[in-house]
Amino acid sequence: MTTSGISRRGALRMFGIGALGAAGAGVLGACAPSGAGSTADSGDPKSKNFDFTSWSLNEEAAKPAIEKIIKAWEKAEKSKIRAVSYPYNEYLSQLTLKLGGGETTGAVHLDIAWLAAMAQMGRLADLGSVAGKGGYTDVALKSGVYDGTQYGLPWNTGSIGVIANAKLLEKAGIKKHPTTVEEFEDALRELKGLGGGVVPYAAATKVAQLKDIFPWMQTFGCTLYDGGKVTIGDDASVDAVTWYKKLHDQKLIAADVDRFDARALFGQGKAAFYDDAIIGKGVTSAQSKDTTLADAMQPMERPVLKAGDTPRALLWGGVIAIVKGKGQDAATEFALHTTTDRATTSAYFAARALPPSTTAGLAAPEVAKDTFTTEWTEKITKTASGSPFWQFAQSAQIDEVVAKQVQAVLVGKAKPKDAMRKAGEEVTALTKR
Amino acid sequence: MTSTTSTALPAVERPQPSTARAGRGTRRRMRKDLLRSRIAAWCAVAVIGAFGLLPVYWLLATALSTPESVFQFPPKLVPTDLTLGNFTALAENDQLIKYMVNSLIVASITAVLSVVVATYMGYSFSKFRYRGRRSLMHLVLASQMFPQALLLVTLYAVFSSFGLLNTYTALVLSFTTFTMPLCVWMLKGIFDTVPDALLEAASIDGASRWRTLHSIVAPLAAPGMIAAGLFAFVRGWNDFIFALTLADKEKQTLPPGLVSTYIGEFQTAWPQLMAASLVVSVPVVVAFMFLQRYLVGGMTAGSVKS
Repeated sequence: MTTSGISRRGALRMFGIGALGAAGAGVLGACAPSGAGSTADSGDPKSKNFDFTSWSLNEEAAKPAIEKIIKAWEKAEKSKIRAVSYPYNEYLSQLTLKLGGGETTGAVHLDIAWLAAMAQMGRLADLGSVAGKGGYTDVALKSGVYDGTQYGLPWNTGSIGVIANAKLLEKAGIKKHPTTVEEFEDALRELKGLGGGVVPYAAATKVAQLKDIFPWMQTFGCTLYDGGKVTIGDDASVDAVTWYKKLHDQKLIAADVDRFDARALFGQGKAAFYDDAIIGKGVTSAQSKDTTLADAMQPMERPVLKAGDTPRALLWGGVIAIVKGKGQDAATEFALHTTTDRATTSAYFAARALPPSTTAGLAAPEVAKDTFTTEWTEKITKTASGSPFWQFAQSAQIDEVVAKQVQAVLVGKAKPKDAMRKAGEEVTALTKR
Repeated sequence: MTSTTSTALPAVERPQPSTARAGRGTRRRMRKDLLRSRIAAWCAVAVIGAFGLLPVYWLLATALSTPESVFQFPPKLVPTDLTLGNFTALAENDQLIKYMVNSLIVASITAVLSVVVATYMGYSFSKFRYRGRRSLMHLVLASQMFPQALLLVTLYAVFSSFGLLNTYTALVLSFTTFTMPLCVWMLKGIFDTVPDALLEAASIDGASRWRTLHSIVAPLAAPGMIAAGLFAFVRGWNDFIFALTLADKEKQTLPPGLVSTYIGEFQTAWPQLMAASLVVSVPVVVAFMFLQRYLVGGMTAGSVKS
């Protein structure tokens, strides 16, 4: 009989083999053909049949509306669209793998934050000539641009901004939305005075959503990234985090809050302000027992440091990009139709409350009569901008390293100046990779 | 040998009242200590039990709650608005049933394939002597050390080039890559405990090596093979990332299916997700209930040498 124990020599041999195997697997992976559609840009661009990949095709709220658009297109064009979807949280990694492997063709729905990472793979078509026909708003059009090239046709363009609960503000005697940081702080103190466990501002304090600090840093004057240099760590970013910490210490914001907690608090009338995308109204009011909450929800311009400054907000939305190769032409037509056809965008708005990206779409009576959407577009989206870090493949890691440093400040483990200097160094390293 | 008797013992003096009281006190103290240690043990068991069962309770409570009550902040330990709607909705979801069938097919084939291959490999490693045997054994185990992401990318490229993406074959083969090494080592340990004399006796009786393995060794190692199969089944049943990446919606298994169905960009349908998770865990629980006696025996077999 033999022994099955592992000697030191055996263990060393095993590690050696493991390392060799890992290297071999890497080489094998690198050398393996790039996939079913192995050659880049392969397939017939004139094919009427193509794929449409979207995470929304998984989601109960969105699926029927998108399937309706697909069916209408298939009927009108006598073509076949294969619907492909991955869960939202896995979407980017799955798409990266499958686009690189040549398995993804046709039209691809992208969050605007992912456009740069996808465009850098060199598989997306330049849609510059098509975009001009769409009648998109300027801000929407820009959301589909990477490195000067129009890679995406904007489908829905909105932003992440501050939502206020008018009923709570009224209860605290606040007559109008605060416009400066100082007024905002005063309003938060008034709201805190209501008692009953009210968290005046359900700001993000968990790492998962602490990237919400970026618009505040910009509000205090930090550009985040300028002229090829990371500016996190400058005085403005330190001031912003010091202010955030002050709100935390005075219990004007609460510890351990992410977007889901913020919605829950707001939905129960225990928060007067929180940050969310425009779709937050539908999501938060749907999970609230208060049937009048939707009417009390108001978009609010993010307060500025001093009167006359431009309110900051993060651009948010989706674009449709086209993969070069099979079905490219038909997919481009489909994307243009989906994002610009007035009846289609209005029907999609009715189903999902996502603002269209065209001037005509926004002016459609169905959209124009929705006060929340029009106010949001005017107050928040108008001055929103994308994150300067979206251009880097490591943008998610950048968000995380900054968030961890901000959290360290909030829990008292680091001083704002040290934490922001460290965050700046770490982000710089990530942008250089 | 002892030959002590009661007469051989020194005379025992009758205890004085104070000594007797002291003895009673000691016994009382001992009883108290015993009671205290029992209470402490029960408290520890209760804490560990609560730690283990709380997630299951939370799963059940959420599955029986309405979406509105799930989002109550702070959350309530005992739900008030109870509903069975989340369970009835499952039966109407054909896609979920499809995911479940896919999971059953893929996890079962993975288990069978892992056991079959691991039986031959484990037997070979245990009972045959040949050049490179030890290196091969270590290579099998070392494959467990590859990061899953690396394996995934490599497997994706290989399956893609062979046109195997979006097939059960791709899923079974990929699951087997991470179930087989442990199964091989588990079964090798079990085969090590089968005495060589038994194999020699079979050989003298005219049994071929093939016959010896199938008719003599395999029945003896059956509990271990069942344990290895169960381990492979559970790994295959629970895998998320390989099933998501290598299969499309038609061939996807439950874990990615549930995430796709219930976890969205803006909302997670927690009550439905929990109800589905409860229902889909039933096959695994049932399998454990029937096979757990083999599992314990199989996992520990080979740990002590005869």
